[in-house]
Amino acid sequence: MNDHAPSTGLKILAAAMFVFLLAPVLVVVPLSFSGDAFLSFPPSSWSTRWYGRILAEPKIVAAFWTSLTLAATTMVLCLAIGLPAAYAIVRLRIPGAAFLTSLFTAPLLLPSIVLALAILIVFARLGFIGSFRGVLAGHLVVTLPYAVRVLATSIAGLPIACEEAATTLGASPLAVFRRITLPLMLPGIAATAALCFLVSFDEVVLSLFLTGPRLSTLPVEMFHYVETRTDPLIAALSVILVVITLAIVLLVDRTAGLARTFAR
Amino acid sequence: MARAGTAPSQDKAFLVLHRLRKAYDDTLAVDDLTLEIAKGELVAFLGPSGCGKTTSLRMLAGLTPASAGRIVVEGRDLTHVPPYQRDMGMVFQSYALFPHMNVARNVAFGLEMRKVPRGEIAQRVVEAIALVRLTGREQRRPSELSGGQQQRVALARALVIRPSILLFDEPLSNLDAKLRDEMRTEIREIQQRLGITSIFVTHDQVEALTMCDRIAVMHQGRLEQLGTPEDLYERPATAFVASFVGRTNRLKGIARGDTVETGGLSLRTCGTHQGDVVVMMRPHRIVLGEAGCVSADGRAVNRMTGCVIRTVYAGDVVQSDVRVADSIIAVEQSNRGSGELPAVGATVTLSFLARDTLVYPAAP
Ligand SMILES: Nc1ncnc2c1ncn2[C@@H]1O[C@H](COP(=O)(O)OP(=O)(O)OP(=O)(O)O)[C@@H](O)[C@H]1O
Ligand SMILES: [Mg+2]
Repeated sequence: MNDHAPSTGLKILAAAMFVFLLAPVLVVVPLSFSGDAFLSFPPSSWSTRWYGRILAEPKIVAAFWTSLTLAATTMVLCLAIGLPAAYAIVRLRIPGAAFLTSLFTAPLLLPSIVLALAILIVFARLGFIGSFRGVLAGHLVVTLPYAVRVLATSIAGLPIACEEAATTLGASPLAVFRRITLPLMLPGIAATAALCFLVSFDEVVLSLFLTGPRLSTLPVEMFHYVETRTDPLIAALSVILVVITLAIVLLVDRTAGLARTFAR
Repeated sequence: MARAGTAPSQDKAFLVLHRLRKAYDDTLAVDDLTLEIAKGELVAFLGPSGCGKTTSLRMLAGLTPASAGRIVVEGRDLTHVPPYQRDMGMVFQSYALFPHMNVARNVAFGLEMRKVPRGEIAQRVVEAIALVRLTGREQRRPSELSGGQQQRVALARALVIRPSILLFDEPLSNLDAKLRDEMRTEIREIQQRLGITSIFVTHDQVEALTMCDRIAVMHQGRLEQLGTPEDLYERPATAFVASFVGRTNRLKGIARGDTVETGGLSLRTCGTHQGDVVVMMRPHRIVLGEAGCVSADGRAVNRMTGCVIRTVYAGDVVQSDVRVADSIIAVEQSNRGSGELPAVGATVTLSFLARDTLVYPAAP
């Protein structure tokens, strides 16, 4: 982004911000290796047993797989819906494009608790509560705005002349999309996929309302866990989540370049 | 003008534009454009910014739908054929190379789209890259090439598909003067060797005059004149063409037969005219000095004296402004290295032949 080397003052400020933002996360790491039976910092002994104990909690394991499947499905659907929507809004200049953009972004602006309540009321009547499709639909409501936003920005930044050049070289509209538009959009698509996956994976508020005894997501299970138990298992689980998040972010950075993807 | 290579066959109309029109909400970008181009010809679309050159070219390529009119190539009406079936190569002003493909893949793209067999693609790509002298750079990405090299990739990419028509939209405007000169020669040479009918959009008159078989001068969406460089320069059809192609003096006056009264001068002109007119003459057709020009019939020479008010040394030529009666006339002499510059304030004699004047009705 910036060609100038940041000044020393700015570096110190940035370092301070990093510590402030990351300190709580860093505290979790030593906690997860605690040998104690209760969450206390600093731990009095060290052990890795809490990592092993996670597997002995069937509810948590089941919720983990639910969350993973849910996040993956949300991600795929977001791309499948968001890509044509963003394309139509930016490129085809369909009538009411501005209205559609607002509609797609509105859920971002609503307080999630209000959104959750509204969705709960509607879904309860449809019998969607506690079902996979119900939670999936709820997650789509919060992830699609991100998808449409990021993809629309990505499409708007594409060089139209490249697509026109491909057309004059004999590429049909479909071939242009596959060979030119899609590859050039890869950074935006990777960013969208990661964003939707992560938002869905750690969504709590909506999920609290939409899950039920038959189906629960990992954040909801964790929430319930800390309500009744106070052992460091939850810290071990948190570390695993941080590692997964980090892995996804790094993957996007490697394939597409993070700065390029998010800060266009 | 001597032109090397295969002369375009002038008899048969290869490409016909018939009353082509493009109206946007608030502008008429192209109005009633009609012209015929022979096979193998290189025709320039020349005109000031915003006159509709790009719009015309894009309509030809099918990238912009025409509001009215027809585009016919070899008797086939292409007006409603989608761009990917038109078989026209286009070189864009921005080159529009595919940033995610290397040079070879860029060049191969059009052939892949045409489902040419792999072996033939490889061979034709090698040939095309050699033609634009980029052998050895096949694996580079466009971002790793200089402007001139990118331009040549764009040319190779358009050439390799052997299009029936090649369209250039100011392809040289991003290059420096020297490179532009080289690329002009190169494009012209390749175009003639392969005999590809081409249209070359430019707002640079030198480019149009030196490269092209014929030039279509456009002005405010209309075709002002279509002719050879000589036609345009020696026999401009309108005052706009006369002033746009080459430098001219422009004097307003009233014509009576073969004389025009202008700003206290009485000028012999070519042909007879009546009423309000503008008279134009090229600065370098005016001779400075006592000897002046001589004409066979003795009468058809305009001779006058004036006072030099400005002199500019421009290298190859020396340009002077001379006040004659109420008018200022620009004069241009080639710099032969012997004479001094005409001194400011000096009284000089100007003369020019009546047949070197251009007379047009004054714009209403
Ligand atoms: N998409 C568009 N919508 C509205 N008006 C347009 C559009 N494209 C071009 N125009 C108008 O049409 C006219 C011709 O434009 P065009 O791009 O063909 O000019 P040009 O001769 O190529 O100029 P330049 O030398 O600056 O490239 C201009 O007045 C321009 O403003
Ligand atoms: Mg243009």
